Amino acid sequence: MSQTTLERVRPAGRPTPGTSGGRPRRRSGWWLLLAPILAFDALLFLTPLGKLVGSSFSDNAYQRVLSDPLVLRSLANTLTISLASTVVTVLLGYVIALVLWRSGTVMRVVLFAVVLLPFWTGILVKNFAWAVLLQDNGVVNSILQAIGLTDHPIELLHNRFAVIVGMVHCLLPYAVFPIFSSLASIDDRLALAARSLGAREISIFRRIILPLSAPGVSAAGLLVFIISTGFFITPVVMGGPGDMMIANQIDYYARQLTDFSGAAALAVVLTVLVSILVAVYQRVLKAGGQHEAL
Amino acid sequence: MKRSKTTSPRPQGRAQGRALALLSLPVFAFLVIPTAIVVPVALNDSRYITFPPEGVSLAAVQGFFEDHAWTTALSASLQAAAIAVVLGVLLGATAAIGLHGRKFPGQPAVVGLILAPMIVPTVVLALAFYQFFISVGMVGSIIPIGLAHAVIATPYVYLTTRASLAGLNPALVRSAQSLGAGALSILRHVYLPVILPGLVSGALFAFSVSIDETVMSLFMQSPSATTLPVKMFTDIQFNLTPKIAVSSAVLVTVATVGLLLQVIYVLRRRSTARMLPLAV
Repeated sequence: MSQTTLERVRPAGRPTPGTSGGRPRRRSGWWLLLAPILAFDALLFLTPLGKLVGSSFSDNAYQRVLSDPLVLRSLANTLTISLASTVVTVLLGYVIALVLWRSGTVMRVVLFAVVLLPFWTGILVKNFAWAVLLQDNGVVNSILQAIGLTDHPIELLHNRFAVIVGMVHCLLPYAVFPIFSSLASIDDRLALAARSLGAREISIFRRIILPLSAPGVSAAGLLVFIISTGFFITPVVMGGPGDMMIANQIDYYARQLTDFSGAAALAVVLTVLVSILVAVYQRVLKAGGQHEAL
Repeated sequence: MKRSKTTSPRPQGRAQGRALALLSLPVFAFLVIPTAIVVPVALNDSRYITFPPEGVSLAAVQGFFEDHAWTTALSASLQAAAIAVVLGVLLGATAAIGLHGRKFPGQPAVVGLILAPMIVPTVVLALAFYQFFISVGMVGSIIPIGLAHAVIATPYVYLTTRASLAGLNPALVRSAQSLGAGALSILRHVYLPVILPGLVSGALFAFSVSIDETVMSLFMQSPSATTLPVKMFTDIQFNLTPKIAVSSAVLVTVATVGLLLQVIYVLRRRSTARMLPLAV
């Protein structure tokens, strides 16, 4: 009976939905939706990058570039500046993540907004603000002189210290989120149990919270390091001539020397290094059971 | 005994909490102060850049909006952002819907390709676009800059749209289909209401990415296509001027509005995870 009703409702000649007859329409619609992005990325992402890689293999570019002492210096700068920024960022990020983790819902959203403010603000705006604060007659120097630490303005700008300050300020949000999410996944009862067994707060932190948030710390460290290696603006605005990083060297090759194959070779080196780090980062995320990224 | 209540606070004592708050205060100050001083500096009543300000005046703001070079840069930035937002929303949203609830061989590669622009350092993309747009003869206008911004903005829209689709039961789509709904009406009546918050959030991200982007715009700049950050970057290397301060204040205002919209959205939805569609 019910079968005949169904039969009657279905218009004659139209295939049953869900059987092989109904599928092709869905499948074609789905390809239509993916076509724009695939075409766009093929034309405006893969083609330019492909040309870049292609041009890096001309004129002996890799040998030429990698034997340039300026390049080697900028690679060394990139490594040391990125490492220093990463260590400071992760330390400060851990403090912020702890506070976020311990605060109530509304306070947490407000503090999240505070953390995200530099994330939403452009890098030039942030660097400009730091330049204002750190300049010779800036507020930091005034405070240092007022409390008697120095009787003349200290050079706080156009050196490596300033570059690291500017970079840490940009990088902090990226460190807070992975650390926060690994803290948030810790079972509160662990600390309660430890406390009921007489553990002190310091040892609860050292022996429970710190080890359990370690995956977040390593994810944060890698992410921050990956982002640091590509910094371009901050070394120019806040650093001195000796603080140029690899991105600045690429710019120098491309726009000052107009040596495109050399610039391309450097760009490929940077991209390969970053890609390796990204692969490691994703391993770390998987191992730590975090799924908030990629 | 009273300790065993499930409502017991976070697993640290009150004294430790206070110590932590005290320790974190300078860190939060470090985060906020640079952004907070930008607007007061722009309203400073002085020909020099000073903080704290010596008095309030709109002279610098007026000077900024009367200076042709700066207003042209602002308008170039807005044009590039318009291209990036429109293209980013269209491409990111269609990609997220197209991939929703579907598994096929090669899918991870497609997702990887969509997200890849977030991973490649911008200086590398800048160089690639610079060479590419010269080779196809597209230089001297804002269009290539807008297109380049669209490339890096699209992954953000894809991620926010994908996040809002996570709550959509694919069975809804199938039942709409079995009831005879066409592809367009499924897009309008099933997908659009669900992805709308993600689209808005993604559009905000796309706008913010484009308006702040400096490196690609710097490589592709020309006298007729100099964006606000490029103008700032060029000027800042010589001097800190009140016009840079006003320009910064404009960008901070834009950022604050974007952030406030996000906070309202998150408070209404109660999910802090949505604030940052972070992948690398």
